[in-house]
Amino acid sequence: MKVIVTVKRVIDYNVKVRVKADGSDVDLNNVKMAMNPFCEIAVEEAIRLKESGTATEVIAVSVGPKACQEQLRTALALGADRAIHIETEEQLESLNVAKLLAKVIEQEQPGVVILGKQAIDTDNNQTGQMLSALTGMAQGTFASKIDIQGDKAIVIREVDGGLQTVELAMPIIATTDLRLNEPRYASLPNIMKAKRKPLEVKTAEELGVTIKAHTKLLCVGAPAERKAGIKVADVAELVDKLKNEAKVI
Amino acid sequence: MSILVIAEHDNDSVKNSTLNTVTAALAIADDVTVLVAGSNCQSAAQSAAKITGVSKVLVADNPVYANQLAENMRALIVELAAGKTHLLAPATTSGKNIMPGVAALLDVGQISEIIKVESADVFERPVYAGNAVAKVQSLDAIKVITVRTTAFEEAGETGRASIEEVSAVCDEAKSKFIGEEVAVSERPELTSAKIVISGGRGMGNGENFGLLEAVADKLGAAVGASRAAVDAGFVSNDMQVGQTGKIVAPDLYIAVGISGAIQHLAGMKDSKVIVAINKDEEAPIFSIADYGLVADLFEAVPELEASL
Amino acid sequence: MSVYRHPYKEADFVIRHLLAFDDFCRDNALDDLNSDFSQQILTQAEKFAAKYLLEQNRQGDLQPPQLIAGKVLETVGFADSYRAFIEQGWASLSASEQYGGQGLPNILAVACNEIWQSANLSFSLCPLLGQGAITAIERHGSSELKQQFLQKLVSGEWTGTMNLTEAAAGSDLAAIRSRAVAEGDHYKIYGQKIFITWGDHQMSDNIIHLVLARLPDAPPGVKGLSLFVVPKYLLDEKGEAGIKNDLRCISLEHKLGIHASPTCVMSYGDENGAIGYIIGENNYGLHYMFSMMNHARQGVGVQGLGVSERAYQVALEYAGNRIQGTDRAGNSLRIIEFGDVRRMLMLLKSGTEAMRALCYYAGFETDKKSAAAANSEIASQSAARIDFLTPIVKGWCTELTQELVSLAMQVHGGAGYIEEAGIAQLVRDARILTIYEGTTGIQALDLVKRKTLLDDGAQAGLMLAEIQQTLAQLEKSPRGDVIYHSLNTALADGRAALDWLRANVQQSSCVAGDYLQLWGYLTGGWLMAKSHLIASNLLDNGLGDSDYLQAKLVTTKFYAEHFLVRTNTCLASIKAGGDTIMSLSEQQFFSHVN
Repeated sequence: MKVIVTVKRVIDYNVKVRVKADGSDVDLNNVKMAMNPFCEIAVEEAIRLKESGTATEVIAVSVGPKACQEQLRTALALGADRAIHIETEEQLESLNVAKLLAKVIEQEQPGVVILGKQAIDTDNNQTGQMLSALTGMAQGTFASKIDIQGDKAIVIREVDGGLQTVELAMPIIATTDLRLNEPRYASLPNIMKAKRKPLEVKTAEELGVTIKAHTKLLCVGAPAERKAGIKVADVAELVDKLKNEAKVI
Repeated sequence: MSILVIAEHDNDSVKNSTLNTVTAALAIADDVTVLVAGSNCQSAAQSAAKITGVSKVLVADNPVYANQLAENMRALIVELAAGKTHLLAPATTSGKNIMPGVAALLDVGQISEIIKVESADVFERPVYAGNAVAKVQSLDAIKVITVRTTAFEEAGETGRASIEEVSAVCDEAKSKFIGEEVAVSERPELTSAKIVISGGRGMGNGENFGLLEAVADKLGAAVGASRAAVDAGFVSNDMQVGQTGKIVAPDLYIAVGISGAIQHLAGMKDSKVIVAINKDEEAPIFSIADYGLVADLFEAVPELEASL
Repeated sequence: MSVYRHPYKEADFVIRHLLAFDDFCRDNALDDLNSDFSQQILTQAEKFAAKYLLEQNRQGDLQPPQLIAGKVLETVGFADSYRAFIEQGWASLSASEQYGGQGLPNILAVACNEIWQSANLSFSLCPLLGQGAITAIERHGSSELKQQFLQKLVSGEWTGTMNLTEAAAGSDLAAIRSRAVAEGDHYKIYGQKIFITWGDHQMSDNIIHLVLARLPDAPPGVKGLSLFVVPKYLLDEKGEAGIKNDLRCISLEHKLGIHASPTCVMSYGDENGAIGYIIGENNYGLHYMFSMMNHARQGVGVQGLGVSERAYQVALEYAGNRIQGTDRAGNSLRIIEFGDVRRMLMLLKSGTEAMRALCYYAGFETDKKSAAAANSEIASQSAARIDFLTPIVKGWCTELTQELVSLAMQVHGGAGYIEEAGIAQLVRDARILTIYEGTTGIQALDLVKRKTLLDDGAQAGLMLAEIQQTLAQLEKSPRGDVIYHSLNTALADGRAALDWLRANVQQSSCVAGDYLQLWGYLTGGWLMAKSHLIASNLLDNGLGDSDYLQAKLVTTKFYAEHFLVRTNTCLASIKAGGDTIMSLSEQQFFSHVN
């Protein structure tokens, strides 16, 4: 069984985002980039499927500019067997990404596709679900456990208020939540080996997908700032303020 | 313009998140229909019909919708989308699970977690963990949207909408509900509580969250946690408040032992009153707190409980 | 405590542009290597350091290793970090592929070492000493020793130590008294060694001690020392750690800093003699040690860099958050807005940049030397350059580190003096750097005597000529005015110092310290000037990260204005000579109390 895992190149989570002076977008020029944290969890899960003997091959896929080959190399260093880079200079919306991935799925016929539940840049939380709709594969989103049992998969999902368990008919699409696993780090020998693993570059055109805009970004602003209030001396003063000034208790 | 709101409900009644979503819908247009899809969900439909401003309630009452599995729900919604200009759902784990698939089947984009309706096709939404707000225009004929519930008031319950049965049975048979492990609690749900008390890494371990629970019991509050506390394994992820967890905006938010990482702030900064208790005077949480108390939480929290 | 963030743009600028690493890789047919790949390695190293080393750093400071029942128990958590370190292959980065290493260039080892040392200096010393043992055995050991020990040392399964110092033999190794007696195919070692870093711990299955000792018929002095491999556990027939050798740690030192690094007093042969195996030939021990010395001493310079970078980051975060005072309009100010705090942060930033340029430059010369054909002209040029720069890297960087960590504490005001702020540990940890692996005084004497006077100033002259070339380029640079003038003056100071020294050889030991500092500021200034030219050129061509490059123009200029000018005071002190220094009688040192 093949596993496809997607990785997105996003701004490093340690970097504080700046909005461009003209308000056209956030300023990503020369900013440190890294693999989306939820994608790291996805890669880890894919590798574990291979290590447990459930999967035979792990294919990492990324959509984006040439630079996202860095993140694909990281996925290869972590244990993916090969990589597919769908090269595009545009910032693609989720539906376009899902359509490209659907084509890759059509070609590769994986048993499991694992994606991060959301990317920490656009915070959309869409691609996995869209991919499920486009391919007709069952979806297990926000997974905290994925258990493949032959022709079905048991997925435990993080939902508001607790955990939900679903049984999905294979093949499946899963998206990762935080507690699914703790991603490993790439070892130095594996970083070296990753250089020699195959990385195939494709374009939307080759895949027969027409990129279409569904939204237009009008502007980006800083969020409304909240001002600091006062410091209270002790618990008594705090309770007094909450009762008599803010009137919330 | 005609809007379909996908209700979130437990078959008995609609959840508050549906009320917020209706408010967002009414900010776009007046013609708002609510879909209640479930199993034995007539009473939920009744409660949906009472939501102020709703003109019609569609009820799809069939076992295939019992747990609102995404595969069946999206097929149903697509069938009902004809003639609609907007499809809205709350940006809860349920809405997030269903709506992108609906968009994909309709070959349109989705606009996630809107916090403001500028016009019928222009919306604001937070990006980059709340560090920026994007204003986006939809270019699609049908706009699929999820709504950040805390950004919109709850609609009233003075309506008298008509109820119409939907007969479509969409069973994709791809997935099956096996079970649910709902955290059983006497306390209110995190996203709808009027008061929330949350703990961070400073709590030290999971047992110490008992201190917060004691306060929560006195105030009728829900208990939350920062991502740091979840990552450290103190408490489960469903308690996480933040950009990657739950977004809350209660009347009172009490942050205990939470430093105030941006991703946590993104999940609670719309609270009406924020209290921070932290022994580190420099903690960023104080920069957004209305009332800050620099103190050892292990002394201050029991004292707070005692004085309530 | 703030997070550690690898200065990846700096490392990339130095490796890619200042050292022209890609040209080197291409010219030497290192197919897979380039600056992009080096970035990838450093990115992963940063992740490793943040998770496995940084969090344990404070823990190690508070809970140092303990000697219990004859065993040194390292700080809790260090063993896990060490296991992860070797499992993930970091221990074997630059070791030869023949023994299971990754065979990467030294420059990448230097850049990674900076990361380990920023995150946790105490921890980093353990694998660093292993590297020394590997080099000694690989270069000078018999094929049997190589076969027995190298693989496991390279993988990090076994760690290594260096045993030179004895109670009466510190800077003067001629006084070493430990003895070795031949017995069959091995030797019996007897004696006590002090200051043995990571001399015992439980993180690895075996510890391979390299011990300097004297054979019975050895000539007196440094020419009578031999080097022995003395394993903690003797190897069994399978080559695994077997029965315990007759050696033990008999006490641990209580130190000012690097608390987590156990500094052991090691006793060999208390019962019937510790079994050891000779490396190379009889009486060549110190010679072999010297062959590793450049590497070890440069390594300490890099430690200074690592600690300085960390101190800068801690100070920067504090300065950006600490609110103190208000402006005229009543707005509260963060201390980073005050001129004097800015000055201190600029000293930290530009000083650290100059150190990094120098450490990486010197480290890369090793790669150039290794890549060149043995005995070729390039190889001997690189060797001479390495020899000349080593005492500067060690002596100047670590002295500058003292100033920088102290400034980083100063930025904090009173809070910095409190342990919890985190900067105090860096100040304490950094203090060892000017002392071990040859004090600054030893480095200065080395630079003056062996590196300058021995070749009659030839290598020093070549350095000055090369700086002159950079000066000529600067003259044409539209942005380089300030740097040109500063470097021009400093270069003249360097020439004057060299001339004075050669004319006053008998005073060399008194002026050596100032001579070393002059060379440090000058070579640092030279590399900063080169960096300035590169940044300027990239900007003119619209290449690179303009924000970073603009900042580089400023930090290089600041260096010229604030550090490079110090050559002038160094020269003045050199010219004053040794007369005043030596003119008090010993009695007169007590003139104020007697």
